[in-house]
Amino acid sequence: MSTATRTRPSRTAWLREPGMGATILVGAISTAFGVVLLSVTEYLAALIRAQPGLQGVDAARAALTIVTAVLVGLSIYVGAIVTANTFATVVAGRTRRIALLRLLGSSARRERMALARQGLVLGTLGATTGLIAGLGASVVGLRLASDAWGIRVDWAILRPDLAAPSIAVILVTWAAAWIGSRRVGVVTPLQALSNAAEAPRERVVARRGRHLTAAVLVVLGVALLGVGIVTGGVSSSGILFAFAGGALSFSGIALGATFFIPPALRAVGGLFGRSVVARMAAANALRHSERSSRMAIGVVMGVTLVTMFAVASATSTRFFHVVLGEEIPAELSLSVDIFTGVMTGLVGVSAVIAAVGVVNLLILGILQRQRELGLLRALGLSVRQVRTMVVWEAAHVVVTSVAIGLLGGTAYGWAAAQSLFGWMPHAAGLAEGPVFVAPAIPVSIVLTVVAATAALTVTASVVPARLATRLSPVRSLAAQA
Amino acid sequence: MTISPTDDGLAARVDTLTKTFGDGANAVHALDGVSLTVRRGEFVAIMGPSGSGKSTLMHVMAGLDAPTSGRAWLGGQEITGLSDAELTVLRRRRVGFVFQAFNLVPTLTAAENIRLPFDLDGRRPTAQEEARIGTLVDTLGLKARLHHRPDQLSGGQQQRVAIARALATAPDLVFADEPTGNLDSRSGREVLLLLRGAAQEFGQSIAMVTHDPVAASRADRVVFVADGRIIADKPAQTAEEISSFMLRTEGAAA
Repeated sequence: MSTATRTRPSRTAWLREPGMGATILVGAISTAFGVVLLSVTEYLAALIRAQPGLQGVDAARAALTIVTAVLVGLSIYVGAIVTANTFATVVAGRTRRIALLRLLGSSARRERMALARQGLVLGTLGATTGLIAGLGASVVGLRLASDAWGIRVDWAILRPDLAAPSIAVILVTWAAAWIGSRRVGVVTPLQALSNAAEAPRERVVARRGRHLTAAVLVVLGVALLGVGIVTGGVSSSGILFAFAGGALSFSGIALGATFFIPPALRAVGGLFGRSVVARMAAANALRHSERSSRMAIGVVMGVTLVTMFAVASATSTRFFHVVLGEEIPAELSLSVDIFTGVMTGLVGVSAVIAAVGVVNLLILGILQRQRELGLLRALGLSVRQVRTMVVWEAAHVVVTSVAIGLLGGTAYGWAAAQSLFGWMPHAAGLAEGPVFVAPAIPVSIVLTVVAATAALTVTASVVPARLATRLSPVRSLAAQA
Repeated sequence: MTISPTDDGLAARVDTLTKTFGDGANAVHALDGVSLTVRRGEFVAIMGPSGSGKSTLMHVMAGLDAPTSGRAWLGGQEITGLSDAELTVLRRRRVGFVFQAFNLVPTLTAAENIRLPFDLDGRRPTAQEEARIGTLVDTLGLKARLHHRPDQLSGGQQQRVAIARALATAPDLVFADEPTGNLDSRSGREVLLLLRGAAQEFGQSIAMVTHDPVAASRADRVVFVADGRIIADKPAQTAEEISSFMLRTEGAAA
């Protein structure tokens, strides 16, 4: 209350607002991830070059660079979803402030550009942090690896290509902030004066075109996957169709998130029971169904990819059994396991970024619902009930997206194994036509995903629950909605 | 006016309440020795300019805020010194609230909002309470609106839903904080008539914080608060009497 301790708002005060830290964090993770992968690629190339007998450095390097680009691109994409969501939420929270500025004569475009500029600053901060952290981790990690294996490799630590992830992150964060703040345009100056009740659900603009594109992509992708699986039964080229089909259908799923995630959320919400706390928790996740859909789709993508690699490798082992009998060479199963482990870990980075998005959005949601929480506390919602509501809200989104991811990942993993190795029994003369095996779902991945789900739910609800339970009803009621 | 804690027929009372924000030279005395009783079935208006301490007084009486010193009772029970959990249950069962705006949970329908205190308590209304809710819904003209969400209701309708919720549990005291502040004059009149009717017909005790003399003129009793003190405690007044009293005190202060 004392004005003496309050400093003059500085030009960087907005950086301390909720949601900004998360934007920096996802940018930093993507950048560091990219820098580490590029450094490892360079290190491996140097290692190969140092061996006199080995050939094909350039080809191996090109392949690794493509894998790096795909993996980092994926994490930047998921990060962009998180950032766009953060900005959409920030705009919703700043509606009154934006309305006041509009009332005083500022244009919507100007306000939106100011937000995009903040995105640019956040992206730059994230990229710089990530670049430094990634370089540090690479130098230390590869040094330790060299010592552990007793090898000496001279590799270039600082190279121009390391700037690529940073540049991509900065540009994408900037663009995501611009896209996310789209709703600045619908804030009217009058909203600074009105005191209307909040709508329980944001009216989602029907995106016919987008959903149609999504449907076309999914149908086309699934058809190609089918072709891949069938072709894979007799020839090794099946995976090419399957890969294209997988990429298309997956893009369709990401694009159509606002179409199928809300019904899924509604179905899962029904599982929590009929108590008023459960109903409010379920309704909260649907309040901004577009934001919830985007928050969920990031997790769906991460879990799908992680599950896909695990299921693909376990299902492939079934083919090896068909062809090689009970005994599979230890070397083969080890290399399959290593590949699976590495890929799972690498795509897991996207899942981590998506998780940051979930935590961030739940925190923002609680901060923006202060007044409603104050009302509920006044009416007799206990601290324990507040906590339950927040945990269920988090569980709702996490469980829904993990369930979709597990289903999708199993389907994709099975399709991958089937189109990669389906021809082997035929080629080995063990079968007339294509052989189909049931998808194998490793217990380890199920346990990992379930544990990660629980951990994410707890993490995602700890901070918001603490925020929510610390609110004094009196102060919350006085809060600006 | 010290009251022994065994007095019956009282809905609420507070004894020499003080509430201080901040300390030292910056200290603000929101309440400065306030004592007040509200009898059962009484409709009291608490009036005063912004910053007079009237809202703080209401918050302490409703178990939303703790005083710096002094004691408060609701019905026969002392509420000063209760834990947050005990106060939460107390508010849920024995206090009703009608705020100026944002009274309803936006994700719940009108019917769900009315039943919220029971649901939070984890119980179904008794047959008697069901009958009471039914009567309230009829009286307040909400029958056709029960399955609407707050954003589908007009301001006046939202306020009537809040009144139904506040009255449903037959609480010891209903606190109304500027209940007409956000309404057009016709809806505002309706809301005041409903509160007045609740006091007369159901014997509901109501404390209404307002700075609108017309609203206050509907009450049985008008308590004037200024600078954290009660400066006058009068029986039912006309809007003109209230206005002129307020103008006089404003003039004296200036």
